[in-house]
Amino acid sequence: MTDITQELDELIYSTDGRRVSFTLDEAIYPRDAVYGAAYLFVDRAYVFLTRPADDRIEVRLKPKEESDKAGLEKLAGEYANELLNQVVRVRVGESTAQIREYYMAKAFFADSNQTSIDALLAELDAEELEEDPLEISVPWEDPSNG
Amino acid sequence: MIETRTLQLTTPKLAAEKLGFFRYGFIADKVLLTNDAAEWHLLTPADFELFLSGGLEAGHPEFDALNAKGFVRSGMNLMDLAQKVRRKRYYVDYGPHLHVMITTLRCNQGCKYCHASRTDMDSVGTDMSPEIVKKGVEQAFQSTSPYICFEYTGGEPTVNMDAIKLSVEYSRELNKKYGKVVDHSVVTNMSWMTVENAEWLIANGVLVCTSLDGPEELHNWNRTWVKSEQNFPSGVNVQEASAYQQVLHWISYFNRRYIETGKDGGLWHVDALMTTTRKTLSQYKELVDLYVSLGIRNIKIRPLNPYGFATKTWRVIGYSMEEYLDFYGKVLDYVLELNAKGVQIQEGTAAIFLKKMLTPDDPNYVDIRNPLGAGTGQVAYNFDGRIFTSDEGRMLAGMGNDFLQIGELGKTSYRDMIGHPTVKALVMSSLLDGLPACHTCWNMPYCGVRPDNNYMECGDLFGQRPNTPKCKEHMGISRMLFERIAADTDGKIMAVFRRWTINRPRDEEPVASSHADAK
Repeated sequence: MTDITQELDELIYSTDGRRVSFTLDEAIYPRDAVYGAAYLFVDRAYVFLTRPADDRIEVRLKPKEESDKAGLEKLAGEYANELLNQVVRVRVGESTAQIREYYMAKAFFADSNQTSIDALLAELDAEELEEDPLEISVPWEDPSNG
Repeated sequence: MIETRTLQLTTPKLAAEKLGFFRYGFIADKVLLTNDAAEWHLLTPADFELFLSGGLEAGHPEFDALNAKGFVRSGMNLMDLAQKVRRKRYYVDYGPHLHVMITTLRCNQGCKYCHASRTDMDSVGTDMSPEIVKKGVEQAFQSTSPYICFEYTGGEPTVNMDAIKLSVEYSRELNKKYGKVVDHSVVTNMSWMTVENAEWLIANGVLVCTSLDGPEELHNWNRTWVKSEQNFPSGVNVQEASAYQQVLHWISYFNRRYIETGKDGGLWHVDALMTTTRKTLSQYKELVDLYVSLGIRNIKIRPLNPYGFATKTWRVIGYSMEEYLDFYGKVLDYVLELNAKGVQIQEGTAAIFLKKMLTPDDPNYVDIRNPLGAGTGQVAYNFDGRIFTSDEGRMLAGMGNDFLQIGELGKTSYRDMIGHPTVKALVMSSLLDGLPACHTCWNMPYCGVRPDNNYMECGDLFGQRPNTPKCKEHMGISRMLFERIAADTDGKIMAVFRRWTINRPRDEEPVASSHADAK
């Protein structure tokens, strides 16, 4: 039987009675997860992001409406939960990035052997050749002399 | 004083290498998984944790379904996923199919929520000229879409009936060369209708869609007459007429004549649209009952849009998105209750989402699409020849801002029109795969954002999703649908929902409402 034991973590936050703040370690909570979670709170809270130290992000949430102690605790708990969800999303996204690129390329590009990145690079190469600043594509012989 | 506290977090064990790509959300005590192919699956929280840990393996009751839908890595069929994604987003292969023609701005009604910039009945300078009509038809046929729908709107479009007739006849002539599937649809308040015009519309297969906001008092309160000395062409005195009675009279006339002229009444009938104002919120039963009594099988609940007169009257007729969703939920449940009794009626917005959720296809509804259809799925030709990304674009222009203009008939080629920087900006700002919050949202496969609305409400095309009403609206409606699916233990709700996804061309969401305007 597979072991699905969950890891128990502690997340410390502080509050001054008007806002809550977290200082998060990027090694545990990737930046995209921190930002992603914070973004989902912009309708309810003013979000402030700062970098107090290397690899640390401080997230401060100040409710847009009056909030009591219980309200702030709820806000902190909801942010922490969303942070965990965002970590899962980031890790699943990283793990499946190549798979997604493959089936998206198959879905939208006629040349099934070409990835989207390859197609973009080929397009850029083509554009550079079109510019032809050295006039490589210009025939050496002048037709008017022929 | 600063206090420090500690939260105990339970971090789920994650075996990402065993999983396919998925998004997830929490709905009705379940966890909803969705993916790029718009597949979805509901798990209990315990099974979700097992799934995340990689422990939900062959032999588990949920495994086969998760495997077939591409949520687990071991049996993943990449070509199958690619084909599903392709089928869901087939519309990116084609140019605009919806071509809105604003035949006039003249209108005899002054609706409290009017999104268009109507003019008085004597402003004949806002009629579309025959030259502009022909140029519009020619431009539309340049689209790479094999299907073209001309939608006539205004103002009251039938006030310039000659423009509608010319467009229908000229497009019929041009189509001998192009061989496209062509529909015509007129969105009318019925007040300027005559027997002669009605017979012409029936004989020429022009679909008719009208506005019906609810019971008589509500409809007439929303849609008042503009003071005028003119009587209706039918001879009815404007000051004595009821807008509601006009609509009912002509719905009845058209539906009767469709049958009498040998058309299939199941496919040919007048479609009606409603716009929700504050007064509507308490009358959801009366509204639905009215539609049922008229034999209308599709009621599409629509909120107000931030355009035109609605921006000025919001204080009187507006409401919060939370109030709207509460109203919407009541309508949905009442419609489901009627379905359980054998009444055939569907809620139109739900039907759009359900087609995305329950079928391998997409209804290509231009306003709930990824990317949005403005400029790529629809264009609008104003009476004066200016081309806009959508009907909303010309409504914005009517408010003095031509930000969404992408050309001018006779001067701008088709390629320049759809390749316009504004069209590209709208695509970029509505491509959900790359938008913050959308790209990780469980509702992303079924959703669509509105950069034009964002521009009106937030001042930029992107907006902030949690702050935009459309995000709340679409997420709220999808959540209601999945909640009802999750609670459906005997399959009865799902049977109704599946019926709503059956493609009955004249019963489903009317083509004329393929954008969210209201005249």
